[in-house]
Amino acid sequence: MGHSPSADTPAVSRRDFLYTAATLGSGLALGLRLNAQQAGAGQRPGAAQPTRPPEAFIRIAPDGTISITTPAVEMGQGGHTSLPMIMMEELGGDWRKLQVADAPADRVYNNPLNNRQTTVGSFAVRGWYNELRRMSAAAREMLVAAAAQNWGVAASECTAANSVITHTPSGRTTSYGSVAAAAALLPVPQQPALKKPEDFKVIGTSPARVDVPNKVDGSAQYGIDKRLPNMLYGAIRLAPAVTGKLKSFDDTAARAIKGFHSTVALDNAVIVLASSWWQAKKALEKVKTEFDPGRLGGVDSAKVSSLLRAGFTEAGTTTLNNGAAERVLAAAGHVIESDYEVPYLAHACMEPMNCTAQVTSEGCEVWCGTQAPQDAQAAAAEASGHPAERVKVHTLYLGGGFGRRGESDYVGQAVRAAKAAGRPVKLLWSREEDMQHDYYRPAAAIRFRASVAADNTVEALECRVVTASEPNFGANRPPSYTGGMSDCRYQFPNFRVTGVNKDVGLRFGFWRSVNLSHNPFMFEGFIDELAVLNKQDPYQFRRSLLQHEQGLRQRAVLDLAAQKAGWGKAPAGRFQGIAVTEGFGSIVASVAEISARGDNIIIHRIVTAIDCGIAVHPANVLAQTEGGTMYALTAMASGEITLNNGAVQQSNFHDYPILIMSQAPVFEGHIVPSKEPPGGVGEPGTGSVMPAVANAIFAATGKRLRSLPLSRHNIELSVARA
Amino acid sequence: MITLTINGKKQQVDVEADTPLLWVLRDNVGLTGTKFGCGMGLCGACTVLLDGEPMRSCALPVSAVGSKAITTIEGLSKDRSHPVQQAWIAENVPQCGYCQSGMILSAVALLKKKPQPTDADIDAGMTNICRCGTYSKVRKAIHRAAGNDKT
Repeated sequence: MGHSPSADTPAVSRRDFLYTAATLGSGLALGLRLNAQQAGAGQRPGAAQPTRPPEAFIRIAPDGTISITTPAVEMGQGGHTSLPMIMMEELGGDWRKLQVADAPADRVYNNPLNNRQTTVGSFAVRGWYNELRRMSAAAREMLVAAAAQNWGVAASECTAANSVITHTPSGRTTSYGSVAAAAALLPVPQQPALKKPEDFKVIGTSPARVDVPNKVDGSAQYGIDKRLPNMLYGAIRLAPAVTGKLKSFDDTAARAIKGFHSTVALDNAVIVLASSWWQAKKALEKVKTEFDPGRLGGVDSAKVSSLLRAGFTEAGTTTLNNGAAERVLAAAGHVIESDYEVPYLAHACMEPMNCTAQVTSEGCEVWCGTQAPQDAQAAAAEASGHPAERVKVHTLYLGGGFGRRGESDYVGQAVRAAKAAGRPVKLLWSREEDMQHDYYRPAAAIRFRASVAADNTVEALECRVVTASEPNFGANRPPSYTGGMSDCRYQFPNFRVTGVNKDVGLRFGFWRSVNLSHNPFMFEGFIDELAVLNKQDPYQFRRSLLQHEQGLRQRAVLDLAAQKAGWGKAPAGRFQGIAVTEGFGSIVASVAEISARGDNIIIHRIVTAIDCGIAVHPANVLAQTEGGTMYALTAMASGEITLNNGAVQQSNFHDYPILIMSQAPVFEGHIVPSKEPPGGVGEPGTGSVMPAVANAIFAATGKRLRSLPLSRHNIELSVARA
Repeated sequence: MITLTINGKKQQVDVEADTPLLWVLRDNVGLTGTKFGCGMGLCGACTVLLDGEPMRSCALPVSAVGSKAITTIEGLSKDRSHPVQQAWIAENVPQCGYCQSGMILSAVALLKKKPQPTDADIDAGMTNICRCGTYSKVRKAIHRAAGNDKT
């Protein structure tokens, strides 16, 4: 799938939304219109933004129910709570009357930041913040105006809060539900007054997440839970190498399995359909298949590693070149050189990939968890032969996304199977297929070279990043995988960052925190090496590189983490490591406090500080930062996807273990108070903990870890409770 | 036909004897709160209670259930009023939520054995995988359900 932002002007079918609005509550729903210039103003120049009819986002029924359609899906990151919070803040709606629904596939829901309907890149809050506030404030002003008209008073004499409009001089009140129909007929204010941050009543609080109640009683509906009448269940076997193709299959033995319906051959897989998933799985085991491995044939992990390292001496693309690092390093008497490397990683969402599809002569419907509903729609259109406008995507809860469900491979497969069967099909991957057919976090390596001046300051630093595949954000852009260094805040007189792509053919994907999942471990590790070489305290050394104007915000985050962790004051026998990262509009610093008993590293606590601008839902900001930390520690401890003849060797949680309760360290999170616009919070928490722990391990043992996972070094992570 | 007692009700299901209980619950009985995660009993997303004992239903043939009473997440209470559910709501535990049915039932079983669990008891008793990393909230919620609110 392509990740480039769409540059064309989306065609918005306003009629559909008005119709939807009109059907709710006997035609008394609030329908608002903002003009296109207003709605898309101030965002990404060059890419036309869709007109956004507010009724596609907010509807108010006569009984006062406020239905909010969220452009962000819910995959655990809290989008179904945080986006409605932003809207309810400006709307002045009663939180108890809120109903939240997922958006259909439609360009009006394209995120203003990337102009795509994707819940990725920690974009939801930071991309929608202004637009949702403006839309909601306009709605509030219209509701107030309608009430004022009814009363024959000036709107300026009225206030609105908790879905109630009050005429202050007389004390008269009316509800949003009562005036919604009249409000819908009024002109839409184009410059609605927005609240000042100091007047926020919702933003900055931590209400209960709207999705929690249904997630404690089994009623939450995930993609895997969809059931349709007359539905068949599908089990899939994909080519062992992700570049593989199906050569032949023989399902004779499978036909004897009870419940067997049919076998559907795809270009790169076979799907067995049966009356239950268990029957489908059992029958699939009886199908004989022959695959051609394709481009990845013969590729193993040793080859990947040697290819990466070969990239250290190739030209590549330079993404940062301040000063003359090359010349200074060439002339330097002593150059410090370190190579770092990290492996491929799988997302391993708890809910294996799945999709339920129905194809008729009229159109196609799919039900699934997806981070990209329009991509799912396009995949279903292509597979069904119906045009996109005849494909309806029903987004259900995602049992984890982390970037994996931004891909739509499983959607196309389900649709092909449903079309072949002429019946609805629920396609569900086994854990093994999920592990072995992911879009992997690319393996990466960096060679660092630095020289130090007589006064112990770093005079030149060069970073050469090599990844095994490059996320393609669009043509004619510099490589994105140097992020975390090419945009770093540390100041060096001569600083050069170069990226080299050595794509071996294993498909890559966006993995929680993307570049920050690999670069900070390596970069902040080398920064630590420089600090030690210069006999400087690692925290003070980083501080010294952040004394300039553009470094102050990062320095403050570093300071907060150090202060809360009691940097330099660890109890006897304990050691600290520190690191800071910036990305997705937020800055995160972590301090790891550990002790070592031989090769057993005991984490006593991880202290993390985040500056994400305005924290819309502080408790969720911390939950996401903690979740990102745990996601990173899993990768650090044992996360490694290896290849043999192009096929992924790991298959399930026994050989791709995930951190569990007894391995989860004590986590303390702190938020830097801020009035800056919100940054992202889903991903930033993943970057800084890996180098912080590695740097602490160095402090404790003198062992500098330049590759992951720790299991490769026979190091075992465990935790101590306070 | 196999007879099962699910959430207090006797039900007959027409399935092969080797079908794991998970799929009987999800596909035959229609109780989809119990989740599929790994199929090898490794992650605990499929945890149900058998006579109060936690059991990973993805690796348990339905024929092995016998007369044991099965409790799924749907059977814990009618209205989310079970103390563990209440604690989960109070602590806002779930993120994606996919593992939480299994987490909650594992916690119910733990609290039955250890009504006042220590952190060490929780570490030993809670072996389910949560990919979102909600462990500290799970821990707090268990303490809260036990009446030892540490927050």
